[in-house]
Amino acid sequence: MSNPSHNGTDEVRIGFYICHCGHNIGAVVDCPAVAEYTSKLPGVVVSRDYKYMCSDPGQELIQQDIHDHKLNRIVVASCSPLLHEHTFRTATERGGLNPFYFQMVNIREHDSWVHTDLIEATAKARALAHAAIRRVRFHKPLETTRVPIHPDVLVVGGGISGIHAALTLGNAGKKVFLVEREPSIGGHMAKFDKTFPTLDCAACILTPKMSAVRSHENVTLWTYSEVVKVEGYVGNYKVTVQRKPRYVIEDLCVGCQECIKSCVYKEPKFSDEFNVGLSKRKPIYIPFPQAVPQVVLIDPERCLQVKTGKCKKTCLEACADRQAIDFNQKEELIEVKVGTIIVATGFKLFDAKRIPQYGYGLYPNVVTSLELERLVTSSGPTAGDIILRDGSKPKTAGFILCVGSRDLKTNRWCSRTCCMHSMKLAQLFKEHTDADVTIFYMDIRAPGKGCEEFYDKSLREGIRFIRGRVAEVTDWALAPEEEGKLVIRVEDTLAGFVRRIPVDMIVLAVGMEPQVDAQEVRRLFNMSCGTEGWFLEKHPKLAPVSTFTDGVFIAGCCQGPKDIPDSIAQAGAAAAEAMALIDRGYIEQEPNTAYIVEEECSGCKSCVVLCPYTAISFDDAKQKAIINEALCKGCGTCVASCPSGSIKQHLFEDEQIFSEIEGVLAYD
Amino acid sequence: MVEAHMMKIKRTIKYDADRVGGFGREIMSVAGCDQLPSCIQCGTCSGTCPLTIYMDFSPRQVMALVRADFKNEVLRSNTIWLCASCYSCTVECPRQIRITDIMYALKQRAIKEQVYPKHMPIPILAKEFAKMVLSKGRITETLLVMQLFLRANWRAVLSSWRLGLGLITTGRFVIKPERIERQAELDAMLATITNGNGKGKA
Repeated sequence: MSNPSHNGTDEVRIGFYICHCGHNIGAVVDCPAVAEYTSKLPGVVVSRDYKYMCSDPGQELIQQDIHDHKLNRIVVASCSPLLHEHTFRTATERGGLNPFYFQMVNIREHDSWVHTDLIEATAKARALAHAAIRRVRFHKPLETTRVPIHPDVLVVGGGISGIHAALTLGNAGKKVFLVEREPSIGGHMAKFDKTFPTLDCAACILTPKMSAVRSHENVTLWTYSEVVKVEGYVGNYKVTVQRKPRYVIEDLCVGCQECIKSCVYKEPKFSDEFNVGLSKRKPIYIPFPQAVPQVVLIDPERCLQVKTGKCKKTCLEACADRQAIDFNQKEELIEVKVGTIIVATGFKLFDAKRIPQYGYGLYPNVVTSLELERLVTSSGPTAGDIILRDGSKPKTAGFILCVGSRDLKTNRWCSRTCCMHSMKLAQLFKEHTDADVTIFYMDIRAPGKGCEEFYDKSLREGIRFIRGRVAEVTDWALAPEEEGKLVIRVEDTLAGFVRRIPVDMIVLAVGMEPQVDAQEVRRLFNMSCGTEGWFLEKHPKLAPVSTFTDGVFIAGCCQGPKDIPDSIAQAGAAAAEAMALIDRGYIEQEPNTAYIVEEECSGCKSCVVLCPYTAISFDDAKQKAIINEALCKGCGTCVASCPSGSIKQHLFEDEQIFSEIEGVLAYD
Repeated sequence: MVEAHMMKIKRTIKYDADRVGGFGREIMSVAGCDQLPSCIQCGTCSGTCPLTIYMDFSPRQVMALVRADFKNEVLRSNTIWLCASCYSCTVECPRQIRITDIMYALKQRAIKEQVYPKHMPIPILAKEFAKMVLSKGRITETLLVMQLFLRANWRAVLSSWRLGLGLITTGRFVIKPERIERQAELDAMLATITNGNGKGKA
């Protein structure tokens, strides 16, 4: 940090620069006129307009002027401080001034991009520039502080994104806590049979990663667990994880499943969540054969012993000496310290019952794409046989795309994966049953690598494509060939007429939605959501895995619908962003912190309870409040609430703000 | 009289029974038509075709209808007969579908099944052209045009008498059918093709 070569008591010599930003500002704001106006303001020594202030020559201009004109304050009117405040502070510093002798004016996002009237926009730019010029006079030299970063990382969600992020970080030698809500990691991908567009087996590529993350020396895996509390700030988060009781001691269970065989329920009786209700399980169960960890769990709602305390406990006998079953297990709260967090909490599928005209829940042979996925899988409830509810093989099938998607009544967005997912399922359907398969679509969206080729393959394999949004599914036969079938009514928009198409089975390509509790998770990690409810990235192009909370990153479908390759790419990116913070070891904190003028503090403690970051404590000996600068985020709550006015804030001093207001109001 | 003024209302929605199962596959199995499954219905063929303006179904629609087994609609459409074999569609098609060849396959099928428009000159020309080539080894233009006129619109012959007279007097109206020298060899070749179900398999 440079020495404050010019402090506030010297004569104030201001350099003002207005940036055209090409046409972004220049086409709306008359930049030379603004520069002309500011040149006459008190203290302004240099006033210039320039095409691109952020360019190297633009920055050098500032440095040269500081040298030539002995400037000691710099004001740049250009874009948002989010983009170039750092650039110009650095330029100011290189010119030999304290970087906080700089003030930025946003005349792009706040002016030229939101106004069309050239005269009014120019007037606004003049007012904003005047305000900054008045304010910068009272700037003080400040120093940034460095806060160390805890090297451990929390990954929330054990789907393919979370697994990949945890493995990447673990392989880089970072300690990772991977928290998964369900009893096994694997997420949606574990339920898939094959993956598009290569048709490689999902389990074959996922399960090695699941095992690897389980056995990784740097990864602590907590399944059946949820994050319930997050405190702190980037580099220093304190996270509370709730471990739900499995009623089985994870370290003792070896996954032999003898307990399941010997359960007093001789037959599986309860809906199996993993097979989306297409099969049954017992009260004591393992989610699926390749579950990680290979540990059984007890459903407390179904287990007689847990529910009523009255059971022969045959499972205990089966477990014998291992004594892995513990009916008295209670939930456990664990607290961990981490520096960064990756949120990869995934998506939920659209509930097809919300579109009643497609008959899901009414006609038994209308299934969702995930249900068909379980039917196709050899490890699924039918061992890979695609069968109708009566056990027979379907001879014809229709896939309805965009179920719940691209519809203002339900979800506006395109779920991105359903076209490809449906084409994959259609190919498998044909392969397994030799049925006549038709896909009903509005547009085929196959932009990924190898995806258009996969579409062509589907066409060549004789899958029929009918362009048109299906109006309804009915069992009301109007023609002999429709008897006993499900009839799809649709306009074949390419042929140019409405058609009635009888089929045996209908597959609804349900879209993706944010998780039900996305809003709670958002609040927990202090993130934002877009209007649709997906977690919001810091910048859609330039910071796709960052959030507005430093140190919290997002990956996978919690940010928006995406396929497996994109999810993994994001997970890797999030891991790299976390590592960039960890390996630097510290973050530089903006010195916009609050401070207490001790002599004036009355010791009323009102600020202590108001601080949202618990940065204020109370010194009982002195009877004064103390602010921990490392914890202060500069929100200003204490400053505004202090009854004696003894709390002040760097960069937001009273005289700075009042002179800024005067500047805005002073323009003619 | 009331009935004459009433709107004729008929069913336009298509039932599954309106399709002829296997028709699409049969057309796609004709030599040169095997790329049709790849059609993405982009409409380039219809856009480039100079005769779409008169067609009841655009070439793109014909492709869709063939693939969806709507045999009756396709074979009765005027599109296949209006195709002038300029090959623009085939040149432009992004999926390299030989659309003109598919049009020929459909024309052949329509003639075979006798569903072509009886007085339309194009199927008559096609038939007479083929007949003459098969029997004589080549065509005699004047005789072919005469046949076309007689079968399509015989009155036109009368109104064109002046043109005919001019052609005869200048010696340009060939009355004697022209033929190739070794007709027997052509017959042998044609017999081989015909025995191979017209697919050229000997």
